Amino acid sequence: MDGSKKPLAALYSRNAKAVIARGLLATRSNNWLVIVSGFFEPVLYLLSMGVGLGTLVGSVEGPDGQPISYAAYIAPALLAVSAMNGAVYDSTWNVFFRMNFAKLYQGMLYTSLGPLDVALGEIFLALLRGALYATGFTAVMGLMGLLTTPVALLMVPASVVIAFGFASFGMGITSFMKTFQQMEWINFVMLPMFLFSATFYPLTVYPQGIQWFIQALPLWHGVELLRQISVASFTPATVIHLGYFLVMIAVGMLLTTLRLRKLFLK
Amino acid sequence: MTDSSPAGVQQGTGPAYRLHAHAPEVSARRARAFGSWYYAEHVLRAMNGYKWTLLATSVGTPVMYLFAMGVGLATLVDRNSGSVFGGVSYLVFIAPALLASATIMTAATEFTYPVMDGFKWRRVYYGPHASPLGTDQIVHGHVLAITVRLTATTIVYFLIVAAFGASPQPAGVLAVPVAVLSGLAFGLPLMAYAASVEDDKGQFALVMRFIVMPLFLFSGTFFPLSTLPVFLQWIGWISPLWHGTELGRALTYGQPLPAWLATVHVLFLVVLAAGGLRLARRVYARRLGK
Repeated sequence: MDGSKKPLAALYSRNAKAVIARGLLATRSNNWLVIVSGFFEPVLYLLSMGVGLGTLVGSVEGPDGQPISYAAYIAPALLAVSAMNGAVYDSTWNVFFRMNFAKLYQGMLYTSLGPLDVALGEIFLALLRGALYATGFTAVMGLMGLLTTPVALLMVPASVVIAFGFASFGMGITSFMKTFQQMEWINFVMLPMFLFSATFYPLTVYPQGIQWFIQALPLWHGVELLRQISVASFTPATVIHLGYFLVMIAVGMLLTTLRLRKLFLK
Repeated sequence: MTDSSPAGVQQGTGPAYRLHAHAPEVSARRARAFGSWYYAEHVLRAMNGYKWTLLATSVGTPVMYLFAMGVGLATLVDRNSGSVFGGVSYLVFIAPALLASATIMTAATEFTYPVMDGFKWRRVYYGPHASPLGTDQIVHGHVLAITVRLTATTIVYFLIVAAFGASPQPAGVLAVPVAVLSGLAFGLPLMAYAASVEDDKGQFALVMRFIVMPLFLFSGTFFPLSTLPVFLQWIGWISPLWHGTELGRALTYGQPLPAWLATVHVLFLVVLAAGGLRLARRVYARRLGK
């Protein structure tokens, strides 16, 4: 066997596209409204909080110190949240079903596909969907007059990077889950991240200790990254935000691949 | 039965356990009389299996929302618009809305997937249906159990609201039954719909996205309904959340509310709940009768 020459051969057969093709084919038989609906959630939040609450809040201090409208302040944060939610939903609930009920991965791994093929394929699909939502949301921002610089378009690839970070971890973590009740805990971890990551108001509200804790969480880096991109105001911190996700992706992919190997290639 | 029956074996090895079963006709009579309660007990005992998750979420979620919105977001809102909220802080303004919306969201979860579970996945309705229980008793039992669940979590939520100092008036306690009523006003029509769904094609996810979520965001939850443009205000008028929240605000901090309008709010909620229950009974009878 040439496994001895290529150390990755047991994990990866360079055929993630087969997993992707299967996923796209399966999408056709899904309820397309469910897929489209994922786009509406952040838009509704933007309309309600940005427009409704925005009239009460007035303007707030943007990342570059200039005052911006409340809608412009929360829009990039909502995009980051939606990247997280989409990636986590796809890589936990969907994967949980396929793993435990449909036994999809088991079937795939009986073929020449390796666990890395499966992980890459599934995550690519989740990111494709995420990219569609991000494009739609950015277009809505444009229609509402919240885009002031062409650099803001970089929010789309950046939110894909954010989604990649969450998706690569989500699948690995899901492989530990055995019951629905355990899955509930995932929501329970995401809620405080959503509420406290400087999404709706600046981090300075909190005492120093809590600020540090929130700054250690991934969503805060995502929110800050997109917020900086939205007004084209970059600092050395931008590199840290981006680097956080690159490390997260690498560690998450490693975890997921090892878990799939442990579960299925005994 | 011979001597080698399990009961016989048990008698030799340990204390004798005897089932004190009633005669079938006695059981049947009791089931007819108390069937709703029996079914409710069954649902509540099943919930007991994940009580820790329930407890953690019903305590953790309100603490997080009240802190994030009522303390964090309030720093931005209170700065320049205190007058909009009738002189009370933003925390006091949103607390009754968060209370009612939490109850409605719980109701939305409890009256969808578990209902489908009863008909399709684990088919838990069909066993009781084969017993002397009537379909109405199954419906009432299920509703009763969910009402107990909603009341319990709403009480916990209210205690946390009170601990945040966000219910200055003693009458605020009455926001609990109002929230539960709002939950039923939203949940019972949804139950009737859920019972009519034959195949899971993501309908419930759509209900959450296109009904529950917009109601949460556009029912005067985070800002007075009058802040919205008029062409969006109708969302509040048809929303059980808005009616429940307006009542809650009158009770917790005394937002002015004329008696006729309070009556309209209560009537709206009662009519929705009663209508939903009626409809649910009809759909259950049809579907279980198949």
